[in-house]
Amino acid sequence: MDYVFLIPMLPLLSFLIILFTRPIYKKAGIVGTLFTGAAFLCSLIVLFSHFAEGNYIVEANWFSLDTVIITVGLEVNPLNALMLVIVTLVSFLVHIYSMGYMANDERYATFFSYLGLFTFSMTGLVLSPNLLQLYMFWELVGVCSFLLVGFYFYKPEAKAAAKKAFIMTRIGDIGLLVAIFLLFWQTGSFELDVIFEAAQAGDIAPSLITLIAILIFVGAVGKSGQFPLHTWLPDAMEGPTPVSALIHAATMVAAGVYLVAVTYPLFSVSEVAMTTVAVTGGFTAIFAATIALVQTDIKRILAYSTVSQLGYMMLALGAAGYTAGVFHLTTHAFFKALLFLAAGSVIHAVHEQNIFKMGGLSKKLPITATLFLIASLSISGFPLLAGFFSKDEILATTYGDGRYVLFAIGLITAFLTAFYMFRLYFLVFSGNSSTEARESPSVMLIPMMVLGALAIVGGYIQTNWFGTFLGDWLETTPYSITFVHHEAPFWLPILASVLSIGGIALAWMMYVRKTTSIKESNERTGLHELLYRKYYVDELYQVVFVKGSRVIAYFWMYVDRFIIEGGAAVITGAVKRFGQAGVKLQSGQVQTYGTVAFSGLVLVLLLIAVLGGYF
Amino acid sequence: MDMDTLLQYQWNSMMPEFTILLTAVALSLIDLFMNKKKDRSLLIWLALAGIAAAIVFLFLQFDDGVVSILNETYRLDSFAKAFKFLMLIGTGFVLLLGVPDESTSVRGEYIYLILTALLGGMMMASSADLITLFVGLELLSLSSYVLVGIRKNNTLANEAAFKYVVNGGIATAITLFGMSYLYGLTGETNIYEIQGLMGSDVVTDNRFLAVFAFLMIVVGLSFKITAAPFHMWAPDVYQGAETPVTAFLSVVSKIAGFAIMLRLLMVPFVFAPGTREVITPDGVNYETLLVSVRPYLVLIAVLTILIGNVIALRQLNAKRLFAYSSIAHAGYLLVPLAALSELVFDAVWFYLTAYLLMNIGAFAVIHVMSAEEEVTVASFAGLFKRSPYLTIAMSIYLLSLAGIPLTAGFIGKFEIFMSALGTEPKRYLLVTAMLMGTVLSYVYYFGFFVQMYFRPSKHQTPVTISNGVTAVLAITVAGTVLLGIFPSVALTFIHDHFQFLEIFNQ
Repeated sequence: MDYVFLIPMLPLLSFLIILFTRPIYKKAGIVGTLFTGAAFLCSLIVLFSHFAEGNYIVEANWFSLDTVIITVGLEVNPLNALMLVIVTLVSFLVHIYSMGYMANDERYATFFSYLGLFTFSMTGLVLSPNLLQLYMFWELVGVCSFLLVGFYFYKPEAKAAAKKAFIMTRIGDIGLLVAIFLLFWQTGSFELDVIFEAAQAGDIAPSLITLIAILIFVGAVGKSGQFPLHTWLPDAMEGPTPVSALIHAATMVAAGVYLVAVTYPLFSVSEVAMTTVAVTGGFTAIFAATIALVQTDIKRILAYSTVSQLGYMMLALGAAGYTAGVFHLTTHAFFKALLFLAAGSVIHAVHEQNIFKMGGLSKKLPITATLFLIASLSISGFPLLAGFFSKDEILATTYGDGRYVLFAIGLITAFLTAFYMFRLYFLVFSGNSSTEARESPSVMLIPMMVLGALAIVGGYIQTNWFGTFLGDWLETTPYSITFVHHEAPFWLPILASVLSIGGIALAWMMYVRKTTSIKESNERTGLHELLYRKYYVDELYQVVFVKGSRVIAYFWMYVDRFIIEGGAAVITGAVKRFGQAGVKLQSGQVQTYGTVAFSGLVLVLLLIAVLGGYF
Repeated sequence: MDMDTLLQYQWNSMMPEFTILLTAVALSLIDLFMNKKKDRSLLIWLALAGIAAAIVFLFLQFDDGVVSILNETYRLDSFAKAFKFLMLIGTGFVLLLGVPDESTSVRGEYIYLILTALLGGMMMASSADLITLFVGLELLSLSSYVLVGIRKNNTLANEAAFKYVVNGGIATAITLFGMSYLYGLTGETNIYEIQGLMGSDVVTDNRFLAVFAFLMIVVGLSFKITAAPFHMWAPDVYQGAETPVTAFLSVVSKIAGFAIMLRLLMVPFVFAPGTREVITPDGVNYETLLVSVRPYLVLIAVLTILIGNVIALRQLNAKRLFAYSSIAHAGYLLVPLAALSELVFDAVWFYLTAYLLMNIGAFAVIHVMSAEEEVTVASFAGLFKRSPYLTIAMSIYLLSLAGIPLTAGFIGKFEIFMSALGTEPKRYLLVTAMLMGTVLSYVYYFGFFVQMYFRPSKHQTPVTISNGVTAVLAITVAGTVLLGIFPSVALTFIHDHFQFLEIFNQ
């Protein structure tokens, strides 16, 4: 356990080495991979020593202000030991994958140095035992995201997206920072354990805890792309695809969920805060899922799907499902990273992102297609795959917590998820193809296979049949968190499976069967009538489900575009106006400057004369 | 005063000032008798040696107690030492920036005028009398006016110098007017005497005059620190002056401004009665003046932060942009003062240290780039390709200016937040304004990042950097990062050597 400091240090070393030896371009990938691989091994060792030795914390004084001592340190508890493994594993796999994907990029070495810096920041964030340190790494992670989203800087969209990502998340960060300061002035400490003790002992007024928890949640909303601060995440897809897999699917965006989980003892004290989290999460889940129904860009669909799944996790946390939220975070990291990497493999092969311009790729890219299918099944909650168990856990928790509306929303979202994922899958992989495509090199396929295996078996760490290992282990947390385990009603897994398979079937009928029925209709045989009728059912589905949801989807898209972005435009517009007025006043005329200064003085003196009661 | 009294004084407490004075005089004489065509860079090294000697003398005084000589007009306390230390370091950096290379030359006047300006600043930090404070202020101002206009044939510089003189004149008049009220109320010019007389009946009966005096001094001195409403000269002057002079104005002159502001506002007025009556156990009393005027200080701080950050968004010229950024930083520095925090001296001093490092560093980068063209934000395009190490240095300054963790700027901002939230009641308005300002500042600071890393460059060759600038860059980068990672170095240093509250003792 004393070697835990190596986990962030190794990627940092990788960053520094690559930064200062830029000429050895082709070695950068290997250096980065080796160091991150070593960090992953360390994380595994730390995970296993946590099983044996339990929690660990080490701290040192950093500096002191007056009587306040600010510390830095490292902490290992079940939650962050798990996060460490996820982060370093996905980072390691993305490093390997990128050696193939980025091979022809002239800024190959720069890319790997950024990846190293990101891995350092993310592991540092996870290991922080106090909020100030956590906040610093939180910002650093944002800087890395900025650099990586803007990696293709010659594209104006990438530049705009990088800036948007940075500033949007920064809005959330201010909420977090204010919450940290409020906590400090209530408890005199940034240490998590001191803060939690104070909160549970009732030393902080309940209304203030609610306010603080909601402010922390604002930070999480920004980072995890929750409504209404979600718009940066789909735009961030302008970054290289491995980055989308690492940062915008598996790790950084999950940091918001992680933050809520870390500060869970605060949230659990406040019913209002919990409901806020649950409602925001549930709403985001269905909202983003409907938008994903009508998107045409492969990465944007996955991005909206990420937003939706993160909403799912928030919903779980808000419904007192600590284990469920963390569980889904874990499985989601595997299958969503795989989806992005597989999407990257497709883009790498056909140089196209519009799914309507693809098709029939399963013959050309058989391995990619199989892995994509596994990930799609997993995220859709297909029985016995990883996503099935974690999604069930969330639904059971929401149901058990008595939040029936949110439970219904969760069910609908599960159906929609299965539908849009398979719409994507069928449009890209089924049918016949005319495009030239070659399967990606094995350096890209092997990391995907590892993730594929995890997307299948990852769910067995927490099931009602074989044991709730994850939940039992998370209960060894050093902080007092109330664990509620709701036994899922017997019909719930069945209902969830039906919805999942129903969504897949609907997609199949619409995007695979449709083409066959048109072909059959030309032959005008007896079979045609039946097929036609089936087609009619499709049409019915089309009207009832798809058209209906399309209307909703467009509705939300317009809300998104005009109300939310419009609101942002009003604020930036106001700032601009103020700036313009300021520039106008700055005429270069020295008389104006004197007048402004003099008016300022007169104003101040008049104010005090009137308010001070001298006249 | 006879010879004996004069000899009794602890003259060695003024050694740093004497060193600077002698160096300036010696340099002006050497410059006068030196061959006109000869290179003046020797003078810079002599000036630097003088500054180094002054720093050594200052260090030797660090653990002395309060010394007060010359009829209590000159005063050496922790506050004075701390601010003089910063000014000496800052001036050293400015001189290093001016070291000429093969293609440029330096004027002798430039060097010794910087030293006299520094001397003025040191007097401002170390005076206990309205008259000597004012003389120090004028010495700094007059030297700066000439420095700004030293490029006689440059129209921008001429315009800048003119604006600087006129605005400075107005500011001086307002400051003096405020000071005259202080003298009128108490009949004293020594600020410690004034402090003692502020509780007298005369002052209590004429409370509003004390308040007026306070506010007029604030507005007058806001010129030196580029705070609202006296901020408008800054962009024009910063743009017109040579970059090392701009660095001097935005750092050393501002440190001096804060030194005089803190002393002149805190010492005489600390026990003065304010406007509102409060009922205490011993009968009706008045709240203190500092509490009464706080809303106005808050107003000035908030306006300064917002004006600086919002208008900076629209600037294309790098020096103008940094002028507005420097206005915004003046606003942040006013926050602990407006919050009337106990930590005001610590917070201001630490932030000024961080500000010195990051701002001089940024101006050093602008300085090397101004050899090619008028530096705009777009001049930074593709800098990473051309000069990667220069770009990394600039990135560190920008991150620090934006207050990103692991830099000195973050610790400085953090300390200011703590000071504003540590008072009772907490200063949420100030903190909100500062947070908003910080977010706005991300936009223009990160604009540089977009240029440096994400844009192709017009030029292909690396930027040429003189040895003096390299030294400045190396030290300021190291300082910015070290203070960000190990702030305890500076904080323990303050704690061990400076007892800021000495400033209030007679």
